[in-house]
Parts: sequence; structure tokens; C-alpha cells
Amino acid sequence: MGKISFFLKEAFGSLLRNYFMTIAALVTVFLSILVLGAVLVFVFMTDAALKDVEQKVQVAVYLKTDPDPSAEEVAALQAKIATWPEIKTCTFVDKETGLQRMKEEFADRPELFESITRNPLPGMFEITLNDPSPAVVEEVASRFEGEPIVDEVRYGEKYVEKLFALTDQARNVMLIFIALLGVVAVLLIANTIRLSIFARRREVEIMKLVGATNWFIRWPFVIEGVTVGFLGALLATVVIILVNNYLLGRVSTALPFLRVPVDAVPYTIVTGVLIGVGVFIGALGSAIGLRRFLKV
Amino acid sequence: MIKFEDVTKIYPPSTVGLERVTLEIEKGEFVFLVGPSGSGKSTFIRLLLREIQPDRGRVIVGGKDLATLRSWKVPYLRRNIGCVFQDFKLLPNKTALENVMYALLVTGSANSASKKRAIEILNLVGLGHKVDSYPHELSGGEQQRVSIARAFVNHPPLLVADEPTGNLDPETSLGIMQLLYRINKTGTTVIMATHDREMVDRMRRRVIALEAGRVVRDQKRGGYGED
Repeated sequence: MGKISFFLKEAFGSLLRNYFMTIAALVTVFLSILVLGAVLVFVFMTDAALKDVEQKVQVAVYLKTDPDPSAEEVAALQAKIATWPEIKTCTFVDKETGLQRMKEEFADRPELFESITRNPLPGMFEITLNDPSPAVVEEVASRFEGEPIVDEVRYGEKYVEKLFALTDQARNVMLIFIALLGVVAVLLIANTIRLSIFARRREVEIMKLVGATNWFIRWPFVIEGVTVGFLGALLATVVIILVNNYLLGRVSTALPFLRVPVDAVPYTIVTGVLIGVGVFIGALGSAIGLRRFLKV
Repeated sequence: MIKFEDVTKIYPPSTVGLERVTLEIEKGEFVFLVGPSGSGKSTFIRLLLREIQPDRGRVIVGGKDLATLRSWKVPYLRRNIGCVFQDFKLLPNKTALENVMYALLVTGSANSASKKRAIEILNLVGLGHKVDSYPHELSGGEQQRVSIARAFVNHPPLLVADEPTGNLDPETSLGIMQLLYRINKTGTTVIMATHDREMVDRMRRRVIALEAGRVVRDQKRGGYGED
């Protein structure tokens, strides 16, 4: 217990005394974590947006209208579709529901529907797949060829393929970017801390001559690193959350059709990750920075 | 207590630190290590502290061969060797009291007990009124007293002093010498490297003279020069 309070006193004493180095290290951590956090938020957002798009990729099967197929025919087809293993959901949207949906979608322009005397919409199946990859989508779509009551199958064909290629690439690029950033941050911080320890190498030398064990010397430095890492990361996290909220608000009022995934970023996870990374690289940086000077 | 067996230390590429030094120092002795700069005095002390290792031969301290000492045990060796240096080597951001206490705290001694002991020993070296002063607020002689207090606060069996009076005026030096003499009286072995001819001649203790890394004289009650 006495030892711990001694180490804490040593650590905070030297953080205050070497305030210039403390600030330098703090700014380094802050900037590194800020960039890391910004990328993390961006990853979460694009991921949510992509998921949103993925969810929408489904197969729309339009039925013939003239004449409309009978309820039995529809039920028979639905039962058949339901036996296919690729299918996640298969919902029949009848003509009336379809029209109702359309009216809701254009609720602000009721005049569009005034002239309509009969329902022109076809009945349709909305199909979502367990694995919405292009090959599966195409395969499922092809099975409707020759079905007597089916008029047309739509699944965005080429668009689907491109979308998936893009999302895969986007994810990989993000991951690589995050990994690189992490390495850069650790190196930057280790270097800053090494600089601050270099300025105090005489102290370390004296401690060793008096018979201090390496851990006795190391603890205050590690506590310093952890403190700087924690504070820098905390600051960066606060800035990221504030800026993110502000920008999201602006974007969603200015460009409402973009449907920004407002809840896409799980703040608790982001906060946890960033502060965890900050503390970790602070401690690691101290340990790495000190290593050379402990060999006396 | 201390044994050097045919010890050679060469600093790369070819500077001789010590060459074929064999000697023995008994418990409770007071030994002067004399010789010009570069004669090997500091090498001798650094070998004792295991800051460096010999290229040949064995250094034995307190019955232990330092070559076989695990590196994690080195701090425990050093706690048994009090060190005093020409440049004092005090921690600049700690008061006199905290500097002395540090040597106790590293051994795991409790805070309150350490403080009590540190104040006692600072009183003993005549600095009871300056316990809260920082090194830069103290004179050279006072700083050296703090450093001696730190070296002796654990009551180590061995005290090593590398030119402890090198930066001090003759009068202050005398005070420091008296302090080391009193420490020696408590049974602590004292090894002191020095240039201070007058001091050595006055004390009449064992003198080991080094030149170019070799022992050229080892005299029971010697003076600085030949006599």
C-alpha cells in the first residue's frame, strides 16, 4: 500500500514537473487517438450504411396482372418458394397493400392518386435471402423462368455485383488503414515517451546505483504513461462524440434523403476501444522507452 | 570481503581499464585507491558495482563471484554497497530527506520508518536543519554529506567513494574525510579513490596505487607517493 502511494506520488510529481513533456506526449496521444477514432466512427457508419443496402437487396417477383392470378395459384407458388433453402423470408404483397404503401410513401402529394380509378399495381413476392451474394441472387431469380403466373423478376442484376465488390473492398481498406494507424500511434507515442525518459536518464542511472530494482524504477514511468494515454484518449473521445453529433445533426437536416444512420456508432464501444488503446499504448510506450536505460 | 583475481578489463577497441589485477581487501579496512586519471580507479569501482564485467579474471564481493550473479540480483548487491561520487549523484527533484529516503524505500522499507531513519542519519552528518532543501539549494560540501548519508543509511558492509572530495575545498574535504573515517569505525569497509595527496598522507591507511591499469604499489600504512 505504501509502495503504491509512493509510486503514484512519484508519477504525478514528475508529470507536473516535466509539464512540457507531459503536454507533448498528451498532444501526441490525443492526435493519434483522434485520427484512430475518426476512422473507427467512419467504419461504423459505412458499415451500417452498407448493411442497410444489403438488407434491401432482395428479389422482387412481380406477378401477371391481366388477369390477376387466383389466390390458389399464389399460395401454391409461395409454398414452393418456401421450400428453397436459400430463402430467408418470402412475403406476398397483394395489390391493395402495394397501393396502400405507395400512398403512404407519397403522403404529401395526395393529388397523384385522385385520378386513379382502378389499382394498376401487380401483386408481388418480396424475397430476402440468407446469403445475398450475387451468385445466389441470380440462381434464385432464374428459377422463376417459366412460372406461368410470374411476369417479371427484378433483383438489380449488375448493380448487386458491383455493390458487393465495393463493400468488400471498403471493409478491407478500412481494416488495413486502422492497423497502420495503430502502429503509427504506438511508434509516435513510444518515441515521445522515450524522449521524455532520455531527459531523465541520469535519474534512472542514480536509482539503479542506489539499488532500485527495474520494476521499482519502472512503475512510476508506467503510471505516467497510462495517465497520459488515458487523458489523451479521453479528450479525443469527447471531441469525436461532440463533433460527430454536431455533424450528424447538420447533415440530417440539410440532406434528409441521405438517411444518415444516426445510431450507427455505438458510443460505449468506441469510448471503450479508444480509451483502452490509449492506456495500452501509454503503458507500452513507457515500457519500450525505458528499456534501453535500465541496462546499467 | 573483496577479492580481485587476475582481473583484466579492456574497453574496446584497446584501452586498458585494468590489467591483471590481483588483490584482497579485508572486512573493516580503509583503503585509498590512488593514481593519475585513466589509471583504472573508476574501472575498479565500476567492476565492484557490476556496472561492467571483467574480460578476464574474477571479481568476488562478499563471497559471491559477480560474473555468476544473475542480473536481477544486481540491485540487491548494490544495496550492500554504499556509493559516493565526485558529482554527488543526487536526484535533483527530491529534497535532501527524500534523497536519503529513496535508498531505504527501494529496499521495501516502510515510509514512516524510512523517514525516521533518514532524519537520524542527516542529523548525524550535520544536516538536520536542511532536510527539506533541494540539492541546488545546498553547497557542494552539503550535497556530498547528503550523498554520504544516502550511502550509509542502510548500514552497508561496504562503502565505495569515487573522488568524493574532488569538487570540494580543503576544509570541506576534511569534514567529508572525518565522516568517512567515522563510518569506517562502525565496521564498514571503505574504499576511496582519490587524487587528494594531502588527505592520503595525513590518514596513513592502506594505499593501492594504480598506473595504466596495473597495481604498482600496495602499502599497509602508505602515503600518496613513494616513501
